[in-house]
Amino acid sequence: MRRREFYGLVGPSVAVMVGLLVVPLYLTVKWSFQEVDYGSPGQFVGLDNYAQAFTDPRFGRALVFTAGLTVVVTAVLLGAGYVLAAAVNRLGRMRPVVLGILLISYVIPNVVGATMFSWLFDQNFGGVVNLAFSWLTGEEVLWYVETWPNRIMVALNVIWSMLPFATLILLAGLQGVPRDVLEAAQLDGAGPIRTHWSIIVPSIRGVIGFVGLISIMDILRVFDNLVPLSPQAVQLGNESVMLYIFNIAFRDGGQDLGLGSALSVLTIVVILVMLYPFLRDVVREARQA
Amino acid sequence: MFVRNASWKWAVGLTAAMTVVSGCGAGSRVAEGGGGEQVSCEVEVPEGDTTVNVLAYNSSAIDPFTNTMVSSCTQDGLTVKHDPIDFAGQVQRTQATLAGDTGTFDIVETYGFVIPTYAAEGKLMPLDDLFAKYEEQYDLDGLNQQMLDTMSYEGTLYALPMQAQVFTMAYREDIFEDLGLEAPTTFAELREAAETIQQAGVMEHPVALPWLASSDIVTAYDAALGSLGTDFVDHEARRANFDTPVAAQAFEELESLLPYMDPQVTTFDQPAVQQQMYNGDAAISIMFSGRMTDLTDPDNSQYADRIGFAAPPAVEEGGKQYSALSVDGWSIPANTEVDPDLLFQLMAVSVGQEASEAAVPAAYPAREGVVTSENSPYADAANDAISNAPATEPYPYTSLISNEITPMVAGVLTGNTEPQEATRRMQDAAERILQDTR
Repeated sequence: MRRREFYGLVGPSVAVMVGLLVVPLYLTVKWSFQEVDYGSPGQFVGLDNYAQAFTDPRFGRALVFTAGLTVVVTAVLLGAGYVLAAAVNRLGRMRPVVLGILLISYVIPNVVGATMFSWLFDQNFGGVVNLAFSWLTGEEVLWYVETWPNRIMVALNVIWSMLPFATLILLAGLQGVPRDVLEAAQLDGAGPIRTHWSIIVPSIRGVIGFVGLISIMDILRVFDNLVPLSPQAVQLGNESVMLYIFNIAFRDGGQDLGLGSALSVLTIVVILVMLYPFLRDVVREARQA
Repeated sequence: MFVRNASWKWAVGLTAAMTVVSGCGAGSRVAEGGGGEQVSCEVEVPEGDTTVNVLAYNSSAIDPFTNTMVSSCTQDGLTVKHDPIDFAGQVQRTQATLAGDTGTFDIVETYGFVIPTYAAEGKLMPLDDLFAKYEEQYDLDGLNQQMLDTMSYEGTLYALPMQAQVFTMAYREDIFEDLGLEAPTTFAELREAAETIQQAGVMEHPVALPWLASSDIVTAYDAALGSLGTDFVDHEARRANFDTPVAAQAFEELESLLPYMDPQVTTFDQPAVQQQMYNGDAAISIMFSGRMTDLTDPDNSQYADRIGFAAPPAVEEGGKQYSALSVDGWSIPANTEVDPDLLFQLMAVSVGQEASEAAVPAAYPAREGVVTSENSPYADAANDAISNAPATEPYPYTSLISNEITPMVAGVLTGNTEPQEATRRMQDAAERILQDTR
């Protein structure tokens, strides 16, 4: 390939990446050292925004909540996604139908899905789950104003919306496992659980890692789900980092874009730390390949 | 054969399971149409194609004015555009569009609370000259003077008023009649009425108020404080009032209503309170008047014909009502590139006599004499409420203080913070803002 062709083909992608990734990232880092209001040039304030972020207990609570949600939901997605994928993999002609139904919750916009999901728990709008829970336990759960019930509801919603993606990718991985390997395991007397644990899971480790990677990135950025599901997120300590940044930068007291940018930079660092094990595996596999 | 049967069993099981987890909850009713009269829109359209982008949140009270402007004034060479948006979205977009040298919107919906802030920052266009120029052509002298004053800052007009919103009380007349109750005029009477309804076993939580912790709750606190005769700030001394005993008393009065409300009331915005009334879960609610007509719509509720209206009660006997008066209007951003004359004419058409009459009863238009007890079920209540609402605080720092103290007010009413601690922090925050805006 000639150099001109190479640049011609790569150029548009590079331009888009610079425009949509590098420039915003540069501005975010720059603003994180400034006091910035809409439409006004920023004023350099050194590390003040970072100092404010680290001394705000609300940021700490948001970090803990987001990290906890990420760990729990990712674990559930990998476990339930695998079980569901294995089940779907056994289907015959009905597989496309089931896959289609599975994808409903994935293609619905988050905020719409979360609003519908919130109605399941809201007595004002029928509250099917609420009614069923009260009927079964004889107790009324305050899903919106009690910390742990609210966390469970939020986690269930994130799982509901992301499980189809995990299932779909893991299903693709399962379909790539060589049939002769499975037959050999069967001949050696391996039962279903042993086959999954010792044969299938190791052979789709890369796919599992990919699902984990994407899930972690998505859950760390949870934002719109919380708007309908946790209207009292700040008071409950159920504010995600992204919601916290939004509230600081755009809502509480107006417009603190400098502090919001500093929080965004810190969030990028947290995401990289949480992704490190998965990134390391991906790099290792790429090298081996 | 076995495989096929097994597949079917798996398929049925998975389908059933996923249908359940996909969610099948009940939905909310939303207003259909949104009103808006086709009126004559004779405006001077500049040469060439002009597009006017309008920013206004959707509600049954605002929609008629927006829709009139959009549907009546779009003509050859002129396109008037409006995209649906909620109130929170409008607030953010207003901030963004007014920020730079150029903006996205050419007409923005504003309200008395934010006009001083934006006007002081020079982000809105003064309208006095345009008002004088077009007063006769569009009968602008028919606009209520009190509302024009609310749209002004330091004697200059910055918005053309379209309609007023004031706290209005809606209650279930049938329940009140059965129990021999009168519409409460004080918080003491409100508690008494709620207690009677509870004890009669009619409802567990008879009172519903919009106390959403992230926004509405500060309006509720402001209303209680205003009813007790105190503003956020002593404007002459330029000193915050949160360290006065009345600031704590306002919290006590609001907390006294908690036993009569749903335990999740701090997650209720106005639509949620409406839903409580639609469902028959609450017998008394206090919301902005723009929400009242929905309560009388039989499509929304089986109790629509049993709703009565009254002015909201005062916190203490003899005080101002627990209320907030907000006037909505149209403003022209200072950074628009569209001809201001054209924009002003569009706004004037939207608040014209015909359009205002068509907006009743969904709205309480700014034109004198348009709302009467014959054409609006809550007219008397709203008129009473407008006359007895606490005065607004038209200062640039009011909205900043309000935003800043919202989480602190929410902290008290959600039981996470002691009132003394909250009022101390509110005082500090307000003093800091007063210092910064000096």
